[in-house]
Amino acid sequence: MTRTFDIPIGPLHVALEEPMYFKVGVEGETITALDLYAGHVHRGIEYLTAKRNIYQNMVLLEHVCSLCSNSHPETFAMTLEAIAGIEVPPRAHYLRMIADEIKRTASHMFNVAILAHIIGFDSLFMHVMQAREIMQDVKETIFGNRMDIAANIIGGVRYDLDATSIAFLLNQLDQLEPVLRDEIIPIYATNRSVLSRTKGIGHISRADCVDYGLMGPTARGSGLAYDVRQVAPYSAYGEIEFEAQSLPDGDVWSRAMVRLKEALSSIAILRECVRRLPPGPISAGPLPRIPAGEAIAKTEAPRGELVYYVTTDGTDVPARVRCRVPSYMNWEALKVMMKGGHVSDIPLIVNSIDPCVSCTER
Amino acid sequence: MNFLQVLIDNLRKGPATEPFPFGDASTPAAYRGRVAIDQDACVGCRMCEHVCAGGAIRFAEDNEALHLVIWHNTCVSCGLCAVYCPTKAITLTNNWHVSHRQEDKYKQVDHVTIPYSACTSCGVVFLKAQDPLMQLAYKTVGANETRLRDLCPDCRRVESSRGARP
Ligand code: SF4
Ligand code: SF4
Repeated sequence: MTRTFDIPIGPLHVALEEPMYFKVGVEGETITALDLYAGHVHRGIEYLTAKRNIYQNMVLLEHVCSLCSNSHPETFAMTLEAIAGIEVPPRAHYLRMIADEIKRTASHMFNVAILAHIIGFDSLFMHVMQAREIMQDVKETIFGNRMDIAANIIGGVRYDLDATSIAFLLNQLDQLEPVLRDEIIPIYATNRSVLSRTKGIGHISRADCVDYGLMGPTARGSGLAYDVRQVAPYSAYGEIEFEAQSLPDGDVWSRAMVRLKEALSSIAILRECVRRLPPGPISAGPLPRIPAGEAIAKTEAPRGELVYYVTTDGTDVPARVRCRVPSYMNWEALKVMMKGGHVSDIPLIVNSIDPCVSCTER
Repeated sequence: MNFLQVLIDNLRKGPATEPFPFGDASTPAAYRGRVAIDQDACVGCRMCEHVCAGGAIRFAEDNEALHLVIWHNTCVSCGLCAVYCPTKAITLTNNWHVSHRQEDKYKQVDHVTIPYSACTSCGVVFLKAQDPLMQLAYKTVGANETRLRDLCPDCRRVESSRGARP
């Protein structure tokens, strides 16, 4: 007879070194139940936004999550622009997309690299992280920081590209693309060590994704091809053609492959943005007046749909800022993904939702 | 793709990491590092204090001057001060060598003094528009503007409306 246990996992060192506590019910080696306890690193960021002005909030919100650090201030700025009726110049739209896609590529590569680390394939982990450095160098050179790229201001962007930086960016893309397309993706697609640990593991169906309101690559790995950039284009995404990546199987492997393919498609989008980059101003002016009002905006962050709701009262300190992050729903889906799985696969399955504690708890 | 081949290629390429601290680590010119302030260009408008995300910039006043104080250890290198500074007096250098000894931690401070002037008419002490601000505000700074800026706001109002008919 197999015995039933409750095993505590976490709050430290499950997949990512971020705290989340799991109570896993097991029967022998098989997972039968899962409970999650969050709240270890709540920083009260939403509260703090009401204590700071909109300029300071652009930086504060950038610190909600370092991997999605462009999406948070960008979406926040979009709500204020909606409230004040600010027209963001076309060049700024393109520069925002460029910042977005650079961040997306680096974020996705980070997640798939961690996958390799979890299955003990550390040389692959190193290889992907090394390739990702090409994108990190782009961020450091163009924006001045490896993670918090500070691209946005209210009404536009605060960085510009000239001939030199464009040449640099394109050159970096030329270096990264072949590594991603001809080395990394084929390894994840065919390597036996990767396939045997990730195929058929952590399954979630498309219907469950809809039920749980899943977003981003997690849902697209189950064939739910919902991408805000396409269903509700913001910036100038409506002017650019690209395909939403999705795979039907809904396992750990599919979610990783979706991320890898998206990274590749981001490179193509980046090239297209640079090619079409219109001339003109990069922002609508330095000091916008934000009247009282409320607005909602959404973007496709690397982890999925990011929604911001903001109320203002006519001062430059917002009355309320609320964000709904994609990770929030994705955590809940772990209950489906883990059921019937093996204890040894827990970190792998957790990593497959690209978990982000810093934005969940913010 | 054979992973062995990747390993061999990487071996052939040699180390991918920077040799720091035994060699130089490359630093891009645009890197956001330690903040620097140009005392002569600062006009004391306090915009940098208003936007400073980390609360690193603080102003203080005494009878003679306005003081800008920046605590580098509180700065998050966001660069907002540099973006919004009207005279570009405040900039971010690409110096990231900010580590220091524990006993020096309260010394990571820069201090800029913007002296007050006495009004040439009534003698009241006030913050006069500094040269960089005048250059921003006027195409050419003539004798009239120069004379008016030596007056405190009250005397300036009286002076500039002198001779105007009600
Ligand atoms: S860089 Fe940011 S945190 Fe540092 S002094 Fe300037 S505004 Fe403040
Ligand atoms: S001139 Fe620049 S550095 Fe001086 S107070 Fe104004 S914003 Fe700050």
